[in-house]
Amino acid sequence: MTDGDYDYLIKLLALGDSGVGKTTFLYRYTDNKFNPKFITTVGIDFREKRVVYTASNPNGTTTGKTFKVHLQLWDTAGQERFRSLTTAFFRDAMGFLLMFDLTSQQSFLNVRNWMSQLQANAYCENPDIVLVGNKADLADQREVQEKQAKELADKYGIPYFETSAATGAEVDKAVITLLDLVMKRMEQCVDKPPAEPANGNGATKLGDAQPNEKKCAC
Amino acid sequence: MDLNLLQTLEKDRVLEVLRRDKQLRIIEEDRIRRMKYELQELRRRGAKSFARQYGERTCARCQRPLGKFWNSGAVCRGCSHRICSRCRVGAADWKCTVCHAYREVKIRSGEWFLEEKAKKFPVTTDKYETVGEKLLKTYNVLSHISVVPPTPPPHLDYHFLSRSGDLKNSKPFTKSMENLMVSFTSHIRKISTSQNDVQGDLLSVDNGRKASCFTYSTQKSLSDTDINKTTHLFKVPSLPNLFKKSKDSDHEGSSTGAEEETSFGSEYSGGKRGSSSSISTECGLFEGITVAGELELALAYNTSTSCLEITVGACRNLTYGDAKKRKCHPYVKLYVLPERSGKMKTAVKKNTTDPVFNEVLKYQIERHLLFGKRLQVTVWHSGSLRRKVFLGEVLIPLDGWRFEDKASQYFNWYPLCPKAESPSGGLVEQDGGELVKFSSNNQGELLKLSSLKCLQEKETHLTVRQIR
Repeated sequence: MTDGDYDYLIKLLALGDSGVGKTTFLYRYTDNKFNPKFITTVGIDFREKRVVYTASNPNGTTTGKTFKVHLQLWDTAGQERFRSLTTAFFRDAMGFLLMFDLTSQQSFLNVRNWMSQLQANAYCENPDIVLVGNKADLADQREVQEKQAKELADKYGIPYFETSAATGAEVDKAVITLLDLVMKRMEQCVDKPPAEPANGNGATKLGDAQPNEKKCAC
Repeated sequence: MDLNLLQTLEKDRVLEVLRRDKQLRIIEEDRIRRMKYELQELRRRGAKSFARQYGERTCARCQRPLGKFWNSGAVCRGCSHRICSRCRVGAADWKCTVCHAYREVKIRSGEWFLEEKAKKFPVTTDKYETVGEKLLKTYNVLSHISVVPPTPPPHLDYHFLSRSGDLKNSKPFTKSMENLMVSFTSHIRKISTSQNDVQGDLLSVDNGRKASCFTYSTQKSLSDTDINKTTHLFKVPSLPNLFKKSKDSDHEGSSTGAEEETSFGSEYSGGKRGSSSSISTECGLFEGITVAGELELALAYNTSTSCLEITVGACRNLTYGDAKKRKCHPYVKLYVLPERSGKMKTAVKKNTTDPVFNEVLKYQIERHLLFGKRLQVTVWHSGSLRRKVFLGEVLIPLDGWRFEDKASQYFNWYPLCPKAESPSGGLVEQDGGELVKFSSNNQGELLKLSSLKCLQEKETHLTVRQIR
């Protein structure tokens, strides 16, 4: 699938603590397979997938227009020693899958740190992020409650999904939601500021001043 | 950030990933280039061409006349041009076709992202680079050596410089024969650089001689036909013979050696001219005209409109486009290379070899996109029956241009150069070699043979020099 026959190249990136399942998550998404073995990612890696995206109006109705989207899904090492390398790649991604392990309270607590890493290193202050709690199938080992995670996601104003790379539950949905956010952001970016940078009123200022309330209609 | 903190194996793994990323990026860049080219085409088809002034009462996109009351058009919010109802996209919040396409390209090419990113991480280098790209470059230095253009000898002027600047950016297009011409020559340059490396020292030494070879060949191709050329090439001694000769000449001493060498030089460059004119007969463009004269240009970049403004002043001492009738109707054509985008032309001046144009041609381009671009300014004679004759060209690299510098905005005289000539002899046989690919007629075989001959000749040519 390495030809230029697509309409958009969208670069997403998965981040989170070591062992939360970023690689298996992406493997499930691109190949629809599950690899239970833990192989630590060396620095960075990426997977690709071609999807068809159906455009929708701001009010939610589909326009029926479809686009071919080539997804480049960057996978990062969660290990601390690769940190400087992985965070450098944050700035080239258009959207982020912030992942934690539902069976590890610690990985959830670290979400905060990852958020500040993103703020510092991503292409803008308030990039599009989806919070993903992985390993939802391991119900008996669960340490993080859905309510807890949902609250945190709401605080940041980002969507939250409980996924399982083992069963494939919600995996597609999490990625598609992120893709949708990025696609909407593209339109916004092109439509508002550049036309009148000098007398940029209301709309632009709002976006800049209150990064935490960036959520639009979605 | 560097990869030296990692173990060797880890580093290799990461570089492998980055190489995969590069593959993807190449495809993406290609796609973007295609998209931008199409946009440029769309824009070109519309108004704002300087050759044909559009009035207030025509649609700025399709040039159809607009009425005073009926179908009077409306002003587009994007470009402030008056647009007829047919050239609009969208309903209430419409835009003209070009503005719409421009917006689409901005989204689809990911330019929106680069712009957003630049707000937070200001671009210092004139070019957007991903982290992976940078890293790969730093750690892949070795594999890049072959592509690094050689330092040109100091007495060569900027034309040569600009040509080597093209190396990294040349991408073949197959739009027309004219495009082919450019693409294959630039392609050749890419290959020939490696030879430049080898020949570097040779070049600086016998540049003067080479120059004379070239002028000689140009005149030759005036009279000879293509077929003659190819047959002429068959007379060229074969490789073993040449080796013998070169050895002989080595024994005989330097004076004969020198003679031998000059004759080789003229013969193979003759071959080159012949082969390139066999292509050009198809587009009827390059005749064996001796290029002479100068062109007056001024360049400025208007940051408020994001326009490159090229003022074509005048030409002097041009050659006659029609040598028999001693007539010349020159005009100037501009392209931005390597894409050959933004074709612009001046008006045709009748019966003069010293035309005065004083026309400002504008090319809309973001400032940072000028990186790696060159301005190709060609002078043509507009003959009867739409026959065009090439009178000379000037290549100006745009990336190093100091637009802020007031002095650079004044007029400058540039000497006109012949087309597709390279400082290195390496171009010659490659020229022939590439031709084989493009010639679909039965001359292909002939050409292949001839190019092979050229190549052999070339090699011996080199050995002769090295022995001496």
